[in-house]
Amino acid sequence: MVSPAPPDSKPSQSRASQAAVTPTDPAPPRTILALEGVTKSYPSGTAALRDVDLAIPEGDFVFLVGPSGAGKSTLIKLLIRDEVATKGAVLLDGRDLARLRRREVPGIRRKIGIVFQDFKLLPHKSVRENVAFALEVTGRPRRDIGPAVDRVLRVVGLAAQADQLPAQLSGGEQQRTAIARALVHDPRLFIADEPTGNLDPLISWEIIQLLLRINEMGVTVLMATHNAEVVTALRKRVVALEDGRVVRDQTAGAYHRED
Amino acid sequence: MVAFVAFSLRRAWQGFRANALMSAAATATMVLMLVLLSGLIIVLTGFDATLKYVEQEVQVVAYLKDSAAAADVTSLETALGGMQQVTEVRYVDKDQALADFLARHPDEADVVRSLPTNPLPASLQINLRDPADYLDVANYLRGQPGVDRVLNIQQTVDQLATVIGVLRTGGAVILLVVGLIVLFIVVNTIRLAVVSRADEIEIMRLVGASDAFIRWPFIFEGAFMGLLGAFVTIVLLWIGQGPITAFMSDYFKVLPVEASATVGRDVALIVLGTGFGIGVLGSWLSVRSYLIR
Repeated sequence: MVSPAPPDSKPSQSRASQAAVTPTDPAPPRTILALEGVTKSYPSGTAALRDVDLAIPEGDFVFLVGPSGAGKSTLIKLLIRDEVATKGAVLLDGRDLARLRRREVPGIRRKIGIVFQDFKLLPHKSVRENVAFALEVTGRPRRDIGPAVDRVLRVVGLAAQADQLPAQLSGGEQQRTAIARALVHDPRLFIADEPTGNLDPLISWEIIQLLLRINEMGVTVLMATHNAEVVTALRKRVVALEDGRVVRDQTAGAYHRED
Repeated sequence: MVAFVAFSLRRAWQGFRANALMSAAATATMVLMLVLLSGLIIVLTGFDATLKYVEQEVQVVAYLKDSAAAADVTSLETALGGMQQVTEVRYVDKDQALADFLARHPDEADVVRSLPTNPLPASLQINLRDPADYLDVANYLRGQPGVDRVLNIQQTVDQLATVIGVLRTGGAVILLVVGLIVLFIVVNTIRLAVVSRADEIEIMRLVGASDAFIRWPFIFEGAFMGLLGAFVTIVLLWIGQGPITAFMSDYFKVLPVEASATVGRDVALIVLGTGFGIGVLGSWLSVRSYLIR
């Protein structure tokens, strides 16, 4: 399951796995996501990630913080296999993403739900159609699509707005539509890339509450954010990136380092 | 599978309509090319049939001098009749030659009537067992008394074959060039469709759509363009059927009647196949180069 470590990566355990597995836990939850000595450099020579180790057990809620350009987006691109690590291994549910065959990639992506700051909704499709689109394009039979869409729309609280177009919705409702679309495949891992970046504080909290509920349903959540207030208030696990390295990995952490 | 095909077809149609102007332009160029193709096929079929007919019906025609002695002609007839290669010898006298000419060209009756004498020579028309024996018989005739000249049909056959060869090569080159242009236009049209759907494609990738779901709607769109172009072409040909048939039977007098029916069917099939093929190939190339990054 664990791929051989690159020769120059650090042996031994990472801070991440120490933080995640408490000694008193008799049966630690399985690791849904693991990065082992991951380096990502671009042809231009800049390294976006340097020797990153990270392990996230199933059911965890993790904030990914750090200044712009710290490598958060690159990390997320590696997780959805939009990019492939230059060195090291990215393991999703035990599979090394770099070793996937091309036709295996879509199946892996269905295990991941992802939302972005800019929602990425299709403007000419209603809420219901936007969510259904995710099922249509993955070949789900039509008779299954309706019930599945209704279910996730109820989860995100948009059942009443199902037939509206994105332009008729508030920002929060648009993000909830995107969340519904990300949930409709019953993902194991939910990635939120700055989900509240375009939303005002009150609406942001609603979205966070929704993500917490999704996490309570057993879905692992990884949220990249600049929202210090939210991170500090919730006291969840915080992974801080700076200049492509993990500089802090803290259970019940705050947005900023607390000394 | 059903869901996949239905989805792909629906998206292909949406794409075609959303991109209506470019799609129409691509279809129109496709029609132009297919019309050229059909025209070439029709003309070549006519020439081929003519060539075959001429080869089959090879007949040695020896024109006789007006001064030829009747005895010479009779002995020539007898000699020819005894040759193994010859099946039939027919003597056509000057009056018969004139009558035949008038029958073939009734408009020229006035001209003929104004002539003081009959200018047409008498001739011997010799049917052969095998066209390959043509030269043997022709060469034998050339030395005989009373024979003015021997009509060289072989030359006509060779000329016709050359014309057909040139037509075929030239036509193929022109078709290839036009075909490449059409392919290029289809590639660009589909590329435009792909780019205009970049957002959708991004979402499809994120939610785990397989490459097939991303690619096939565009290939269907290309196939649809090709088939539409083919149908328009066939309709045009069908409308032009009357004039075309008239031209064919007029120009290639020897074309067997039943040939035009099969030609029509063949042309329709070739047009459909070519349109479909270019549409699919163009979109496949376009989507391939876009998706594999």
